[in-house]
Amino acid sequence: MGVLDVFKRATAPVSRRLGPVSRRFGIQKPEKADLFDDDFQKKLETLAIVSRRVFAGRQRAERRTKKKGSGIEFADHRDYTAGDDFRSVDWNIYQRFGRLLVRLYEEEEDLSIYFIVDCSTSMGFGEGKKFDQARRLAAALAYVGLANLDRVTIVAATDEIVARMPTTRGKGRIFKVFDFLRRIHCDGQTGLKDSLKTFVAQHKRRGLAVLISDLYDPAGFEEGINVLRYNKFEPYVLHIVDPAEAHPNLKGDVRIYDCETGDEREVTVTAKMLERMERAWNEYRDEVERFCVTHQVPYFAADVDLPFDELVLGVFRRGGFLR
Amino acid sequence: MLFAGLPFATLLTIAAVAGGLTVVFYILKLRRRPVAVPYSRIWERILRDKEATSWWSRLKRLLSLLLQLALLSLLLLALGDPRIAGSLIQGRNVVVLVDASASMKATDVDPTRLEVAKREVKKLVRGLGGTDRMLIAQMDAAVMPLSTMTGEVSDLETAVDQLKATDTRADVKRGLRFALDSLRGLTKPEIVLVSDGAVGDPKELSAGLDFEGVETRYIPVGRSGKNVAISGFSVRRYPLDKARYEVMLEVANTNEEPVDVELTLIGDGQVVDVSRLSLQANERLPRFYKDLAGASRTLEAKIKLADGQNDALPADDHAFALMPERRRARVLVVTPGNTYLEATLLLDEYLDVTSVAPAKYPPSGNFDVTIFDGVAPPLAPNTGGSLYLNPPEEGSPVKLGRAMQEFGFDVWDKKHPIVRWMSMGDIQVAKGHSFKPEKEDKVVGASEAGPILVSGRRSGRKFVALGFDPRDSDFVLRVAWPLFVLNTINDFIEEDTSYVSSFFTGDVWHIPAPSGAEVASLKAPDGKIHSVPIKEGRAVYLGDQAGFYELLVKTEPEPTTSMFAANLSNLDESKIKPAESLELGGKPALLPSGFDPGMRKEIWLYLLIAALIVSSIEWFTYHRRITV
Repeated sequence: MGVLDVFKRATAPVSRRLGPVSRRFGIQKPEKADLFDDDFQKKLETLAIVSRRVFAGRQRAERRTKKKGSGIEFADHRDYTAGDDFRSVDWNIYQRFGRLLVRLYEEEEDLSIYFIVDCSTSMGFGEGKKFDQARRLAAALAYVGLANLDRVTIVAATDEIVARMPTTRGKGRIFKVFDFLRRIHCDGQTGLKDSLKTFVAQHKRRGLAVLISDLYDPAGFEEGINVLRYNKFEPYVLHIVDPAEAHPNLKGDVRIYDCETGDEREVTVTAKMLERMERAWNEYRDEVERFCVTHQVPYFAADVDLPFDELVLGVFRRGGFLR
Repeated sequence: MLFAGLPFATLLTIAAVAGGLTVVFYILKLRRRPVAVPYSRIWERILRDKEATSWWSRLKRLLSLLLQLALLSLLLLALGDPRIAGSLIQGRNVVVLVDASASMKATDVDPTRLEVAKREVKKLVRGLGGTDRMLIAQMDAAVMPLSTMTGEVSDLETAVDQLKATDTRADVKRGLRFALDSLRGLTKPEIVLVSDGAVGDPKELSAGLDFEGVETRYIPVGRSGKNVAISGFSVRRYPLDKARYEVMLEVANTNEEPVDVELTLIGDGQVVDVSRLSLQANERLPRFYKDLAGASRTLEAKIKLADGQNDALPADDHAFALMPERRRARVLVVTPGNTYLEATLLLDEYLDVTSVAPAKYPPSGNFDVTIFDGVAPPLAPNTGGSLYLNPPEEGSPVKLGRAMQEFGFDVWDKKHPIVRWMSMGDIQVAKGHSFKPEKEDKVVGASEAGPILVSGRRSGRKFVALGFDPRDSDFVLRVAWPLFVLNTINDFIEEDTSYVSSFFTGDVWHIPAPSGAEVASLKAPDGKIHSVPIKEGRAVYLGDQAGFYELLVKTEPEPTTSMFAANLSNLDESKIKPAESLELGGKPALLPSGFDPGMRKEIWLYLLIAALIVSSIEWFTYHRRITV
């Protein structure tokens, strides 16, 4: 399936894309105004300036990578092997220990930033506020990355990679980013493990992988993040949270069904149950944060009700996105 | 315990069906509303905790079923109308007679006595026991039951609301008779009279009535109020000068103190006379307005206190009267010549007299009255009523008897319109005949030898026959002669010199109406139109409103309309001082007892209340999610 096919699928009518579950229960998505209007773009420029001021003194593409290479900052030693540059031999070590060791330096290169945008049905739940916020954040951070001459790639993921924007750099390409993000739609079941496995297989160049998702993965969000970690990507979790989901507007006897899996359950919603629901939702969020902190994965919870520029500044302050 | 409502077997059947349905509905699950959630795993966490307490949930659901079954049981029991066995046969049967006579319109209590009476009766209704039954009747000149003998509070309250005061007297005796008849054979009979006690002679009330075993109660209504009344109002034209009339009016003061009143006489809406009168305590003052002239057709009299205040009973402050209608009567005289007769007919200017010789009968034209003087030709259709003076054998409407000489009127009907107020006993007759009247004929006057003055009807037309030639007697020389002739003519054209200018409300009225019609339309003073039957030339109606009435009879070629007036004119009703106590059946009637509001001894009512409470509990627990 080529990129055009992916876009065709992404731009298909909502009712068809929502699949059997949405047809069964008649979920309709309302038409919306342009996400990336002039106001949005003005704010992006401001954010780019703010990012430069915050990280003043850095050179362009001056990011350390785990790749050892020809940089100027010492990283490690290794044994000399035939063919190595003699200039790299650490003669001081040889004098002291009689071993030929070669000095290794951290290679300085332009960073690859991957934005993995969750396009599952749960992201478009309700009024689609989570998905809109996810796309705004992706666009804003991508602009900052492009402005810093980083290599920016955006992929749309459900339980597979449903769309991919080819790697690009330079802030003049931001409209390509907008265009890509406009075209993607929510449809499908969340499956971070499978989709990110595909992602790492498709992207050999390691880099910062910003996962923008509500992390409503029936198989568990941990597996997906671990896939990134185990494959030497630097995961950054932008957790899109909608506080309204902690207070569902339900009462009485209802039959709830999962908007992605269609799993049904008969429930009598009481005031007590709603209290428990709020508690469980907060626990889930804490669980995600705890996992990320434990595994040294930068985590930032993005509330859908907050302005995106405020969130982006929060990401800057939180660290991990730019160093 | 007995079931006065549905039989027990039926209740069991309903209980089985309804209970079964309730359980089935309980077991059946309604299709729940589908609701999408973004992530069902969070819900599963909650539900997992809830399932740990599912036994309690099941118990709560069972509680819900039990509540519903309890509700059903209570409703079924209510349908069965359970009664305590002893109370079922001990209910009282009460007839409430509510005085709706004119005096109940008195405003000495707010707003009127009748409204206060209604309130009192409603209290009784609400205080009925579960097995008590009541009948409410309006009592004025007639008695009108407004409900059946029932224990239904709503029906009885509706009946109370229908009570309406009329302009009539109260016929309490008739009401009591009705009540006793209604209660005959019933257990615990009780009569409650709600009245102001203006019921005439109290001793007369119970005379001839058997109150044995019947409890009598009396609820007095009203306070003493100041009242003056027009207790009599009548008008008549002078018999020999019908262009003029006289008015008789009586004003009464029913108070213990003297009052000054202002009396106004109104003719056709225009004030004719205003006078100021001083009345002593309990004085009745007659007033005559003699020799009045004018074209007035309607007359009204109004009275009010001279100090400008209103008295307590406005209903008797206004009286109505109607002058007899004047129209020119067409009289045909078939005579070879009779000076006395011709002279008599000249007395009334409203007579249009045509004289013809017997040979020229019948002349052209229509006539209201035909006088046959010594002849009796076959009657022509246009004859009208016929007065025969000494009719011959052939053609006489009444067979002739034997010939008589030297006789007179030994007996005569002093109330008959043609000889009323006349002295006939000193008339001397030289010769004549007696009559052999038929069964339906009326002998108005007779000598010892037989009838000599007969009236009756032949072929639907009135006749009067005199058995002698007036010229063969001294009748023509007496005042009675012209009166006899004019009375006879007036009788034929329904224009009575003793015309009753107004009827009394509460009486059965016999209003003159054209013969031949069977039904007439009567327009009452309040504008309502009633259909009234006509019997023997009189429309019969029990009137209960004072004022002017209009009677319409459909006749050919055009309908006939006539008016008349009706007045209360009853001094007993005008005496509005209420009686504090009343004696019925030889013992004083006490205030009612045993009517305690809110103490209906009907178990179904309490069961229904219990069902409502259970229903409320179910509602509350459902919405609080206790039983779900």
